[in-house]
Amino acid sequence: MSKRIFLFSLVLALACSMAYAAEEISVGSINDLTGATSDVGKDAALGVRECVAYINDSGGINGKKIKLRLFDYGYRVPEAITIYKRFRDQDKIKLLMQWGTGDTEALSPTVNKDKMVTISDSMSGHLCDPAKTPYNFVYSTDYSTGARGCLTGWYENVWKKSDKWKSAREAGKKPKLVCFYMFASPYASAPIKAIKDQAALLGIEVARDQDVSLTALDAKSQVLAAKEDEANVVWHGNTAMSVATAIKDSYALKFDADNLTNLWGLDKNLVRLTGKAGEGAIFPAPCAFVEDEVPYMDKVREYCKKINPGVPMDKRDVHTSQGWLKVSLAAAGLKIADKKGNLDGPSVKAALESLKDWYPFDTKNALGVGPFTITDKDHRPTPVVSLYRIKDGKIVLFEKINMKEKFPEQWAKWLGW
Amino acid sequence: MSYLPCGTYFESYADDQKWWRTNFIKGKMIFMVLLLVAAPYIVGSQWLSVFYTINYYILAALGVQLLIGYCGQITLGHAAFVAVGGYTSAMMVLFLPWPQFMVDAGLVYPISIVCAGFTAGLWSVLFGLPSARVKGFYLIMTTMAAQWITLRLVITQLSKIGGREQSFPLPPGVIKIGPWVIDSDDKIYYFSVILVLICLIAMGNLLRSKMGRAWIAIRDNDIAAETMGVNIVVYKLLAFFVAGFFAGIAGAFWISALFFVSPENYEWFYSLLWVGIILIGGVGSIQGIVFGSAFVVMVFKLLEMSVLSLSDVLMVSYPEWGWVTTKIIFFKESAFGLAIIFFLIYEPNGLSYRYWQIKNYFNLWPFSYTGK
Repeated sequence: MSKRIFLFSLVLALACSMAYAAEEISVGSINDLTGATSDVGKDAALGVRECVAYINDSGGINGKKIKLRLFDYGYRVPEAITIYKRFRDQDKIKLLMQWGTGDTEALSPTVNKDKMVTISDSMSGHLCDPAKTPYNFVYSTDYSTGARGCLTGWYENVWKKSDKWKSAREAGKKPKLVCFYMFASPYASAPIKAIKDQAALLGIEVARDQDVSLTALDAKSQVLAAKEDEANVVWHGNTAMSVATAIKDSYALKFDADNLTNLWGLDKNLVRLTGKAGEGAIFPAPCAFVEDEVPYMDKVREYCKKINPGVPMDKRDVHTSQGWLKVSLAAAGLKIADKKGNLDGPSVKAALESLKDWYPFDTKNALGVGPFTITDKDHRPTPVVSLYRIKDGKIVLFEKINMKEKFPEQWAKWLGW
Repeated sequence: MSYLPCGTYFESYADDQKWWRTNFIKGKMIFMVLLLVAAPYIVGSQWLSVFYTINYYILAALGVQLLIGYCGQITLGHAAFVAVGGYTSAMMVLFLPWPQFMVDAGLVYPISIVCAGFTAGLWSVLFGLPSARVKGFYLIMTTMAAQWITLRLVITQLSKIGGREQSFPLPPGVIKIGPWVIDSDDKIYYFSVILVLICLIAMGNLLRSKMGRAWIAIRDNDIAAETMGVNIVVYKLLAFFVAGFFAGIAGAFWISALFFVSPENYEWFYSLLWVGIILIGGVGSIQGIVFGSAFVVMVFKLLEMSVLSLSDVLMVSYPEWGWVTTKIIFFKESAFGLAIIFFLIYEPNGLSYRYWQIKNYFNLWPFSYTGK
């Protein structure tokens, strides 16, 4: 009798586990934990894992759990390709999350052919035009809009108003921009064309570009060249560690231009590394920081401690909340598509394109972002650039600029570059 | 050269010099070709992408093997020549005003592959010129210079063409050989197999020729080679040209797999990787290139499989243990370096030597004809 009960229980357990397995949605995530951008990549990957755990704990996707496959590709495109193929064929993922501009752009023709919705940490403007890349989505202001907004914010609030540039203004000097970025990196070079276009629009001169590696430990020669060109503002296109190097070298060589960085270029690590040298640096943050008191950030902190207790909270950065933002957008698309009874690529794409005035977790100002509107004509989720600035060693909100309202005639033309 | 099975011997030089000297080897090769043809029907698309990545590494490492393994010219800048091939092919396909009939006939990409080979070959010769005067460590420096100079030129001059400021995506349908549009994994795989077979046969035949023997003589002792009448400058430059030609072919192939070309795909890491491949596979062995490439790609792949299998358990059932998978990933990065160290210590002749020993074990069992 007991043997029968045991067998019955075993069959029941197997049946339950099979039923449980059927109630899962597979999602792939390609991250950089060891490569050139791992300085920011590791934190972002933690955020992705924690947000997936949170969503699963709070009911999943209409009751179905997300089965996350997260893997490192070392910032090497060939590896990203083989990992994606595995995700697609073996794991049967319903949605792909990607990391870098290089791998996202390299896989773009493939995911579009496969009809696989991809949400990337690369906010390259090239990936926002549905006419060219219909299955690529981004979860924040794209790099180009961010760079334009950053330069505009600096020009209007710093160049035109600050005492620092008073004598130059009164002398009738035009401000001059210099771009520090790794020429070979699609990520770093993605918004360069746009920021130069914005400089021309605002009447800012452009100095010679300076090539600074993503893994640079010295940028003195580039700083000296920019100093020679008498630049007033530097656009840093790399990630935080490399930007910190350039800012420290600028400080050491008494090159007192203001610093603007791309959204992966400024975080708490940079503040720690640069100290006084980093004061005044501005960047377009995709969302609020983990310490900020905005809706849902308490959940972020709770899950930081719950899932990764080994990582101290003071080491957590804006990239953790970026991971949450990315997963929340993915979950929103999956939920809508699942409700309609179809989780294939075109349905998830249509679901994401139906988001209008959307906030993460359907909560206003959650994670300090929103509202997002994505359409089948334009995948730029928001024209609002949230600028943060380092002030007295703290990263504080500086200004929010709505680029669509500010440049209504140009906004449509800026799509896709 | 492996020992022959007992009772197998030749009565003419022609027979002795054949590619496939016994029926067993012929059968083995036919079986291998059949296996290569059948692969897409046996495995899924994810493995095809692994296979064509192996094939890409084989094509790229061919030139490295030729220079280091057969000619004794150390190179640490081979990714530069692959980049030249990739960019030549991509730019010819995208920006040259081809007559419509050539586009329709699918001649553009094949022509660009050949041009990529020649351009990369000539570019390689340019950086091979110092080899006439310098050796060893100094040659490493000059080939490394090729890496930096080439990528700098690509980034500052070529990447600006086409309005993207950086990389060229290749629209689906432009990579076409005759009526055959390369747009899926199985087509990319077959294309890679064809290229690898052609290049391996070409390399094998080159090594059996006067040129190949001259290269090996230069490798073994350049002074002795010169006293025997080998013009070492000419043959060294020829080696650089041929190595560059293979690299150009590799670069031209890789754009068909990625539909995309970017300087990021040709970083110095790849130059090191391809040298690592021949160290692991076996220096001075064509089979070594195949074994080394397969080993390197499969190490990364197997680590990926094990980590993802582990995360299947952890991420769903025990998300708080997810950090374990992250920690394991760091091993993946050191695996390649550890493999090279391991091979240098325990298997200095590479995987091809082990394969040679295994073959001989069977051929010599129980007795063999050794010609003595």
